[in-house]
Amino acid sequence: MSEPEVNTNEEKKGTSDFVEDGKNKMVIKCKYCLSKILEKKTAVYVEQEKELPLMFQGIDRKQGEIKKEMLNEYYHVDNMYIFENIGFTHQVDNYKYLTCADCEAGPVGYYDLDSKHSYIALSRIEHS
Amino acid sequence: MAKKTYDLLFKLLLIGDSGVGKTCILYRFSDNHFTTTFISTIGIDFKIKTVELRGKKIKLQIWDTAGQERFHTITTSYYRGAMGIMLVYDITNEKTFDDIVKWLRNIDEHANEDVEKMILGNKCDMEEKRVVSKERGEAISREHGIRFMETSAKANVNIERAFSELAEAILDKAAGRDADPDHARIAVERRPSRAPPARACCS
Repeated sequence: MSEPEVNTNEEKKGTSDFVEDGKNKMVIKCKYCLSKILEKKTAVYVEQEKELPLMFQGIDRKQGEIKKEMLNEYYHVDNMYIFENIGFTHQVDNYKYLTCADCEAGPVGYYDLDSKHSYIALSRIEHS
Repeated sequence: MAKKTYDLLFKLLLIGDSGVGKTCILYRFSDNHFTTTFISTIGIDFKIKTVELRGKKIKLQIWDTAGQERFHTITTSYYRGAMGIMLVYDITNEKTFDDIVKWLRNIDEHANEDVEKMILGNKCDMEEKRVVSKERGEAISREHGIRFMETSAKANVNIERAFSELAEAILDKAAGRDADPDHARIAVERRPSRAPPARACCS
């Protein structure tokens, strides 16, 4: 497996700016409409390899194909009512995908129906 | 135990015929909307929104029927635990207004009897296509003793206000149940000065 070095470096730099005591140092907002998703220090930073469907699937894909990317930085939220504003999609396999509650941009993360825990991808949101 | 980040949690439902704009009511129209094909294909099940009312942080869990209404399969399980219901019709479609009575019966049959209701006449930005007058909306709401508002999800008229008022009504009811009449009365009296002036849509 070859790592995309530039991205990794950027993410590493970002993490120290955004994470304090293992939690999100800043308010987490939607990248597109700035709707508030999480208050400061309400989610735990975790590193895990997990695929998420792309926000923009493009028009060149085959019918039924879902383009995904591997992401490894997430915020873990163990109770859905910790979210300020968030949308849950219908179930796909054992997940519900998470979206901005206002503009519905997404997925910004996923909700695991087994554990009932939610994960927000750092690269899909805005820190402010 | 994790610190609780809110004071109250209200479960709300959106009900009404297909095409009245229930899904749009849950969606903030702006220049920045980004509903992607992936999300719109799967569809939204419910949303959590946070509002502040009288110094209390309230989480609203808002459910959309997501097309179940087409098959008349809205049953007890959907209504379970609901504390508030937004009953929506389309001011440009007579049938959706006529069906309000049918939906009210469905609610009576399946929902908790003290569920707080509000009727919304949606799409009030489409004045040129209007077939249901505001007066008729007001009349049916008065008849059933239910709050009423005309809204436009598209022009963002009265949407937030509708959710706040429904949440306030549930809050009032909860306050009343707590056998604290003084508190409830003060709360009700405070409302007019706190509510933003109604926007002059659809009049």
